Amino acid sequence: MNNKKLMFWMIIALVIAAAFVIIKKPTKLGLDLVGGSRIVLEAQTTETIAKITPDMMSSLQFAIENRVNALGVAETVVQQNGEKRLLVEIPNISDPAKAKEFLGETAELEFKKPLDGKYGTTGWAPTGLTGKDVKKALISTNPGGQWVVSLEFNDKGTKKFGELTSKMVGQSMAIFFNGEMQSAPTIQEPILGGHAQISGGDTGFAYEEAKKMVDLLNAGALPVPAKIIEESLVGPTLGADSIAKSKTAGMIGIGLVMLFMLLYYRLPGAIADVALLIYSVLVFAVFKIVPVTLTLAGIAGFILSIGMAVDANILIFERTKEELKAGRTLFTAINAGFDRAFTSIFDSNMTTIITCVILYFLGTSIIKGFALTLIIGVLISMFTAITVTKNFMHLLFGAGQLKHPGWFGIKESEIGKAYEAKETKKEKAKFGILD
Amino acid sequence: MSETVLHQHKWIDVVKYRWVWFGLSLLLVVPGVVAMIYSMVTYPTHFPVKVGIDFTGGTITQYSVTKDVPNSEIETLRTKLIKEGIENPVIQVLKTNNAISKAEKLNATTVISVKTAFKSNDKTSEQKIANVIKADYPSAELVQVSSIGPSLGKELFTNSLYALGLAFLGIVVYLSFRFQLDYAVIALVSLAHDALFVLGFFSILGIFFDVHIDALFITAVLTVIGFSNHDTIVVFDRIRENCRFLAKKASFPEIVNASVNQTLARSINTSLTTLITLCALYIFGGETTKEFVLAMIVGIAIGTYSSIFFASTLLDWWRERQEKAKGAAA
Repeated sequence: MNNKKLMFWMIIALVIAAAFVIIKKPTKLGLDLVGGSRIVLEAQTTETIAKITPDMMSSLQFAIENRVNALGVAETVVQQNGEKRLLVEIPNISDPAKAKEFLGETAELEFKKPLDGKYGTTGWAPTGLTGKDVKKALISTNPGGQWVVSLEFNDKGTKKFGELTSKMVGQSMAIFFNGEMQSAPTIQEPILGGHAQISGGDTGFAYEEAKKMVDLLNAGALPVPAKIIEESLVGPTLGADSIAKSKTAGMIGIGLVMLFMLLYYRLPGAIADVALLIYSVLVFAVFKIVPVTLTLAGIAGFILSIGMAVDANILIFERTKEELKAGRTLFTAINAGFDRAFTSIFDSNMTTIITCVILYFLGTSIIKGFALTLIIGVLISMFTAITVTKNFMHLLFGAGQLKHPGWFGIKESEIGKAYEAKETKKEKAKFGILD
Repeated sequence: MSETVLHQHKWIDVVKYRWVWFGLSLLLVVPGVVAMIYSMVTYPTHFPVKVGIDFTGGTITQYSVTKDVPNSEIETLRTKLIKEGIENPVIQVLKTNNAISKAEKLNATTVISVKTAFKSNDKTSEQKIANVIKADYPSAELVQVSSIGPSLGKELFTNSLYALGLAFLGIVVYLSFRFQLDYAVIALVSLAHDALFVLGFFSILGIFFDVHIDALFITAVLTVIGFSNHDTIVVFDRIRENCRFLAKKASFPEIVNASVNQTLARSINTSLTTLITLCALYIFGGETTKEFVLAMIVGIAIGTYSSIFFASTLLDWWRERQEKAKGAAA
């Protein structure tokens, strides 16, 4: 009996610890619940870049991180996803179109010289001076009141720019951004101070245009071109609505299941209900410890696991009822119910775990969320439905006799008339059968 | 003793009416299969079900509005979008239940959903769609956008097929390790029965109600497979156990009948509790997971049927054939 009391207090301690975790740690909510933008970028091979190396990916990640940070939104995520993909998550974004525009641009700045040595009517040749030589970009206005982008070169850039402008006096120098010519001013004199200005040609820049260019230049160019291959955006209204609905669905689901168990299985059902509440508390605590980012599909997995969690209890109680009907003592019937149901419970949970593991490794992030919550649910349900329920039942009934068959939802008249399996001596010992 | 043991539970004689159950299974599966073949022949994608942008690639933009949008207005919207240079927009109007309005006090009753082709790094079409919709419906608010590139869609689709195949394989390996091989194969046939039914059901929904499946649907099918397998294992486990205790006293069909009846309450109760939670999710849960939940409801219902009536009778039928073959050989 001492062991059982110890176990009981351990369970209580575990529940208190779990409750503490739930209060202390914040829940990580997925973008589909808080609202926000989720973008997957894929690095593209080009004529010059035949293979995407891990180094390229890290510098791509760095550049994208810089850009995302420039958006000024908190709690953004940029992480590598496979060999050539980046996952970008931006919660609560007010202007998703801007973010999208921002991420996909290569932001390559190039200074080019004219092929014909004068105005570039026959085309432009690279000079070797690029956005990499820029230390800082600023937005400012020129004397004509137009928006311009002011560049400050780094030491190397200052030197290169100085040499180039010295050689090219009287020629045009074209400035290309993302492969598009922005302006091609004629160089009047060598510029040695390391400053340059990009004006928007004859029409000038709109403020947004200049601002974007400044932000992109400061964040740095992408080492490889990247394409958006997946995007999902959830407005804050839908997110809030989803949370509210999931809560309602979860409460109603758990409430109805508890009611069913109580009505059908009576006293053991009540114990299973307590175990189910413990189950929910433990699962939530594990979600927060791991931490699992809760998405709508993840919550669906959790709610589904509530229905499955009582499966073990149903198996056990059905078996216990049968044993009671066969005329066994209460203690023996409970033990036999647990032991005989165990293989079924174990086998069936194993197959659920197998499918979930497969889903976890092959699925997209939404599917991963569902699989993870279901695995956690199934594992914890094995503990609560078996260990916790068994402990409570033993403590409550002890080695007593069945005085009130109604508590177990069976009639007095049914006892002693049921199917009885003939155990071998070894199995009798295993099931703790005392007759 | 054995008489009372085996007959006192007998509410349903599954073995005796096995041709009824096999016939019913056929009746359940065939319409779906017909729908799937019809879909494969007529759809441009040649898929057995209507697939959404998750698998084909594309962009869906959804706006909520506070008034009803009649069909005539959908046509006007479409024309306007085409005028703006949006190619082939597919517009759908979805009714929402009023939970959105309760949460945000918006009175949004309708969602306009615009499906377009996927364009990477595209800045303007989103803006154009927004302009067109907001011009006609000033109350419109962006609900969600999802956009998948066609290559990613293909990848998702192949991954889903891998997942399905692997899940089947994993279950067979596990089952043949825990049971005899013929139990495993029959469990698998009954899983295929369930998966076919769910696919067929959604194929029919696709034809008549334009329901498209997404990546989550595959997840639902896999979960259903796992769950239905749950049920089948419990029945088979009981057959195995009864065989050990009763093999000398009763014939195999009698054992199958007794086992099914002994596990009947459990099979039905478990499915019931799971269906309760799923129905709560379907009625009160989020819009995005509705079809996913529906797939599971349908799957769990058929899974329960198949493990009680289909898998066990199939096992008995198979054993009987084996016996006959043995008898003929001897």
